Amino acid sequence: MDNGRTPTFSGSIPIRNSDQTKLMNLSRDMGLGLDIDEMIRLRNYFSSMGREPTETELQAMGQAWSEHCCYKSSKIYLKKYLSNLKTPYTVLAMEDDAGVVNVTGDLDYVVKMESHNHPSAVEPYGGAATGVGGILRDILCMGSQPISVIDSLYLGNGRGEVPEGYLNTHFTNSHIVAGIRDYGNRVGIPTVAGSLHFDQNFEGIPLVNVGCVGVIRSKDISRSRVSSTSDILILAGGKTGRDGIHGVNFASRDLEKDDKESKKAVQLGNPIIKEPLIKAILEANSRGLIAGMKDLGGGGLSSAAGELCLAGGSGGEIYLDRVLLKEEGMKPWEIWISESQERMLLAVKEENVETISGIFEVWGIPFSIIGKAVPGKRMKLFYRKDLVMDLSLNFLTSGPIYSKPYYQRNSRRNFMVYLMDPKNLEEEIMDVIRDLNNSGKFPIIRQYDHTVRGNTVVKPFAGNPNMETHTDSPVIRLDNDSTYGVALSSGCSVNAMEINPYTGTLWTMARAFRNVLCSGADPHSVVDALNFGNPNHMGVMRQFVRSLEAIGEFCRYFSLPVVAGNVSLYNHIGKNNIPPTPNILIIGVIDNYNNSITPDFKEEGSTIYLLGSSGYSLAGSQYSRSRGKEAGFLENIDLEELSRFRKLILKYRDSNMINSIHDISTGGLLVALLEMSFGSQLGFVVDISFISHVRVLNKLFSESGNRFIMEVKNGREEDFEEAFKGVLIKKIGQVGGEDAVIVNDSQTIMNRNIRSLREIWERGMENII
Amino acid sequence: MDSNLPNAAVLRMEGTNNDSEAFRSLRESGLNPKYVHLHEIETKKIDLEDFQVLFIPGGFSAGDYVRAGVIFAIRLKTAAGSKINKMVEDGKPILGTCNGFQVLSEMGLTSSRRESRDIALDVNESGKFECRTVLIKYTGKNKIFDGKISVDTIYEIPVAHKEGRIRFLNERVKSEVIGDNRTLFRYVDPEGALSGYPWNPNGSPENIAGISGEYENVLGLMPHPERIAYEYQLSSGARRMKKVPIGKLFFQAISEYARKL
Repeated sequence: MDNGRTPTFSGSIPIRNSDQTKLMNLSRDMGLGLDIDEMIRLRNYFSSMGREPTETELQAMGQAWSEHCCYKSSKIYLKKYLSNLKTPYTVLAMEDDAGVVNVTGDLDYVVKMESHNHPSAVEPYGGAATGVGGILRDILCMGSQPISVIDSLYLGNGRGEVPEGYLNTHFTNSHIVAGIRDYGNRVGIPTVAGSLHFDQNFEGIPLVNVGCVGVIRSKDISRSRVSSTSDILILAGGKTGRDGIHGVNFASRDLEKDDKESKKAVQLGNPIIKEPLIKAILEANSRGLIAGMKDLGGGGLSSAAGELCLAGGSGGEIYLDRVLLKEEGMKPWEIWISESQERMLLAVKEENVETISGIFEVWGIPFSIIGKAVPGKRMKLFYRKDLVMDLSLNFLTSGPIYSKPYYQRNSRRNFMVYLMDPKNLEEEIMDVIRDLNNSGKFPIIRQYDHTVRGNTVVKPFAGNPNMETHTDSPVIRLDNDSTYGVALSSGCSVNAMEINPYTGTLWTMARAFRNVLCSGADPHSVVDALNFGNPNHMGVMRQFVRSLEAIGEFCRYFSLPVVAGNVSLYNHIGKNNIPPTPNILIIGVIDNYNNSITPDFKEEGSTIYLLGSSGYSLAGSQYSRSRGKEAGFLENIDLEELSRFRKLILKYRDSNMINSIHDISTGGLLVALLEMSFGSQLGFVVDISFISHVRVLNKLFSESGNRFIMEVKNGREEDFEEAFKGVLIKKIGQVGGEDAVIVNDSQTIMNRNIRSLREIWERGMENII
Repeated sequence: MDSNLPNAAVLRMEGTNNDSEAFRSLRESGLNPKYVHLHEIETKKIDLEDFQVLFIPGGFSAGDYVRAGVIFAIRLKTAAGSKINKMVEDGKPILGTCNGFQVLSEMGLTSSRRESRDIALDVNESGKFECRTVLIKYTGKNKIFDGKISVDTIYEIPVAHKEGRIRFLNERVKSEVIGDNRTLFRYVDPEGALSGYPWNPNGSPENIAGISGEYENVLGLMPHPERIAYEYQLSSGARRMKKVPIGKLFFQAISEYARKL
């Protein structure tokens, strides 16, 4: 310490002579979450050091070696399938807290997505809110101004049974939405993109995946590491409390019923500290006062300080008694691993400490100097007069890596499925329109402020005020000085994933890719949030590995970088694992946001074309899922065809012949046509006789293939057909009137007023939120 | 920044979050905007006398865990109550949108007689946060906007709030506001008529979206003109019809007025 005397170790816990039973009891009693192999490794390490560990040291190891922090079950496969996916324009991928990607000149965007599933299952409001808070910090710690929040939610639909001891579905769903709303709206970053999927398999185990995009000039990028072995470490933002203790261990194990212990593991968010914190950090960063920065998320200070020093090639000395606390009497280890929200750890050069302190004072941000970087590789912690931890950073971060076994072959038997024709097709169509996954998502999305900051170009909705339709991928402009914007599409084709994790992942990727194209943007980078069940189950590991293989293949084919990601395992209740849910966010870049395209029909008399090939199978569709026949054989995705669409759509985007584009996905051709119509209340007459020689159910509701509907300007049909002759196109009808008319084999299968259909569609979700 | 342009203060405190679009709208309309933190007024580092326009943007000042705008209003009144009163009397535009409108109302500045707080903003009739594009018409008589914003045109404008339902102290106050032509904007439907939800997003009486105070240069609005100042912010229909965004007209009018002060 400062006076040069060797401090004494305090609070040793004997493990050197413990047998396996004692070690496991210790792991459990202290909430370390480590298994026997890991405990033995610890025992051997301290034996060789010739001393017993302290309480703080054991707790620090529990954090560092948790699944959440060291990816011990997934790392080997992530490396195998997703490494080397970089492009020349990738600035930082999978290195710091978020990915950084160059757009043009010195203009970059910063992006990251993460799951907050376990906290949202036990405390939906706080769990979802702090999910938003955490992802904002990831973007902020790169020095970037957040410009958009993205959230993809997978929720129960109220039809399954909630296992005893778990929260009621209606309660969970409304509180998750409220958490995102209250945090996002208060912090003033628009929530513009995302997805919603309802299924009984998510009853009790909701998935909350939150992403964020920020913008930055290359020179302002702040790295997640100290810049020298003499940087001063400042902890700024919220104070440290007992909330969020053992959050990472909790996220790295099975959810148990009445998980009371786990409530302590959920952090409390405070957007009203975050909002000025963002402004203060950005001001300090733009003035060059920050040498390195890391946000405090999972693992708290233990993880942030360790990684910040290690990445910068230094050791660290931290005085835990200098950390500002919310409550009295916290033990040193609690301070070290607390996951209290709204905190940032900054590395600052000594000469800048005074100036940066002044900025925090103006914004009223609590902060304290907690320690410094030092030469060497050791992290030393002091509490008052005691040395409470002295560990090598290399050992701390040498978490185990497991090659978890998985089934080589699909254990699930697929079989052909035959759906009976409904008695009354028109009634069936109405049921499809009001299906939770097909209907309008207004009751949820209108609660999120998606226009704050004034940069939203394509909103989550497009069309006439109060009568809008959903857009494929919202577009946000990047700054005041350029015409560039980003298009965002996030989601997962869960129904397809349940049938085949490999092809289902390709469906997921292709859909996000098509959505980005629909707004007129070029797919540019990929972020994944991988949600799976229990990794000790070989079937789940097979899903995980197959899904990664597909992400790798898709990205290599299209030369897309995977720039950030996260893995969430243990999403299961007993033997019930969630469906494999790799949530994919694709970021597209548009060179002139004024030329973005929206899916609402634009004018009477224009011509409707169906583009893309498909076998019109119902496998993987929401229709067969809702009829309880979800199996069958999933159609492959033709990547070569998708690549042709990419070239054509971008080439002819500004040719003034395409009025609107919409992707065919959930709900099939029928829902896609209606959605285009709902935005402008312009009707259509469409004949689907010749699109394929399959049954009408398949034509209407199949979600297979890469398909789009395009509205082509009246008089430009010939130009359009000439331009798009490289892909399969079929003229199917005309925009006009006030009714939706669909004809098949000379029979009118639907003829209804658009406004009355819209009303059904708009109210589909009324009873769930 | 051009120092010959009128200075406009964009007021900030913890939880103010519409400040960047407010700043941009003021700058685009030919004013010289500057961010001013409440802390800087409290510590007397900044004097509001140096400004010709004051804009209190929306957000969730101090979290709005109490009634919306209350804490900001009390702090602002304590720190700069008399300076702001002077600005009001000098005819300088004092503008509050969304949470800023709530702050002005809590300070009594939108009332018929300042000091008597006769307007409050209540939770929306739907009980929910409402983020949507609505339609409004200019329905006031105001020296800043007359002749600059057409009374016959229906304009699109975004709202995003949970507490935007105007409550008048009593019927007399309501009649005064209407009788004195202080109802700046009203929510209308596509035909221009006063309709219910969702055209009136919060249930305000007589579809009132914004009002002026005892002095007509005090302007309080629930919708966000600062978020609809460019064509890219219009709906696809309005863009095809080449409509002019209301925010552009609104801030131009304020700017022209401020130049003559």
